[in-house]
Amino acid sequence: MNYLFHILIMIGIYSIFIQSLNIVMGYTGLVSLSQAAFYGIGAYATALLMINFNVNFFIAVLISIVITVLLSFIVSIPSLRLKGDYFILATLGFQIIIFSILYNWVELTRGPYGIPGIPSPQIANFNFDNPSKFLVLSTIFALLVNYILYLITSIKFGLILKSIREDEIVVSTFGKNTTRFKIISFSIGAGIAAIAGSLYATYVTYIDPTSFTLNESILLVTILSIGGSGNIIGPIVGTLILILLPEFLRFLEIPDSIAANIRIMLYALVLILILIYKPQGIAGEYEPE
Amino acid sequence: MNRNNYDILTLKNLTKIFGGVAAVDNVNIGFRKNYITALIGPNGAGKTTIFNLISGIYNPTSGEIFFNKIKIDNLPPYRIAQLGIARLYQDIRVFRKLSVLENILVAFSDTEGENFLDGILKRRKVLDFQKQQIEKAKEYINFVGLDGYENQLAENLSYGQQKLLAIARLMATNAELLLLDEPASGIHPELINKISNLILDLKEKGKTIIFIEHNINVVLNIADWVYLFDEGKVVAFGLPEEIVYDKTTREVYLGV
Repeated sequence: MNYLFHILIMIGIYSIFIQSLNIVMGYTGLVSLSQAAFYGIGAYATALLMINFNVNFFIAVLISIVITVLLSFIVSIPSLRLKGDYFILATLGFQIIIFSILYNWVELTRGPYGIPGIPSPQIANFNFDNPSKFLVLSTIFALLVNYILYLITSIKFGLILKSIREDEIVVSTFGKNTTRFKIISFSIGAGIAAIAGSLYATYVTYIDPTSFTLNESILLVTILSIGGSGNIIGPIVGTLILILLPEFLRFLEIPDSIAANIRIMLYALVLILILIYKPQGIAGEYEPE
Repeated sequence: MNRNNYDILTLKNLTKIFGGVAAVDNVNIGFRKNYITALIGPNGAGKTTIFNLISGIYNPTSGEIFFNKIKIDNLPPYRIAQLGIARLYQDIRVFRKLSVLENILVAFSDTEGENFLDGILKRRKVLDFQKQQIEKAKEYINFVGLDGYENQLAENLSYGQQKLLAIARLMATNAELLLLDEPASGIHPELINKISNLILDLKEKGKTIIFIEHNINVVLNIADWVYLFDEGKVVAFGLPEEIVYDKTTREVYLGV
């Protein structure tokens, strides 16, 4: 039973993580390679706040969001004035720098040793300290984040993001400050990634920098491209594929050491097939050029 | 003749150089309010570059642009648009993955619903406003004759319909000055008449229109004033008949 709970918790956390890229890439058309960095900043900030300052989980999440959003401005404010490819490079650089900091700032993050013993979330005296309880928490968060995304994308704000994705210059000649919209979209994505990171840290109770690498960012782009983006459903399909595919391989009783490689190959294969036959992804509406 | 007193838009010594070549070469012209002014001339004469300079896509190499006496060169495109200048692109550029209705909604200058927090905090108010906007958008859709296509994705429309959508979108901006880049190109004659009439209607509504056009009949039918361009310079100007029926102009520039 705990196995099933674990799968459902990971689906919840990853659905939040993928939505963080969806708002940036699927709605606004900006490919970001730094989502894992924001996920990591959220995870570390929450873990350190809870361990070092005994901050309650829910407050720690809010502070992590603020920290992550502020850090996102380092990338977005200078680079979003530039066009397409420069932005991707800036996010790539940011991702690598954040990983290096997590890895090398040993006094703060314990570097490669990671941070063990992260406490479970708690409300009053109720502790979300086993998978069945944590599932309630992760599900509420996942539903809430998806619902909030629905609320903000179903008004004109969402429409403007999508039109920027379609043709930014035209949107700007309609009197919309597109740079501002892109910065806001990117910071919303960063904040959402921080929520996913906070949940992840307190669920697995141990984090180290290897969970927040460039590979993770690239995987997220891959999964979102497969599932489809630019609406709420595509990323959910992507999440299911991401979480369920490895489990499916496990049922085939392929040894873990081989399965990990097969998984990556399968992602690559599926991605290529998708790009050729269904560029908007399985359930998405954004079609990358 | 001091025409400047009546000009809504003035270009002063305007120059744009690309890699040593002057695409726009020291142009000094004005555009009169509530006129339909045509820019004509061969390809590469600098007409579209002038539009790009006016709408702020390019910054001029030198010279100035004044709109309603406000200096607008070097302002970002969105600021220029907010002052009341909108544009129809030669290659149309509708938002392909957005519906006809959504294409229009984006163009409205009202900022209600553009703050993402309003989607959570003032949702009812924003949605009520959105309903009004949808009704207003439908009026523009009907005006250009695209009723029934509201929920179609723009990419599913024909070329001519996309052009009509782009015009409806332009009207939705409620801009005072409209820049139309070849509104009659690539469409069948019946639609050319329809678009010509739409442009005359826009003039009736008090808009000022500048359009680039190769179709001389359209120029003769709707323009009040013509500037003839060649190699980045204004080489002639006047009433449409004067320019179009002038022997030199016809032979050298218009090839008719």
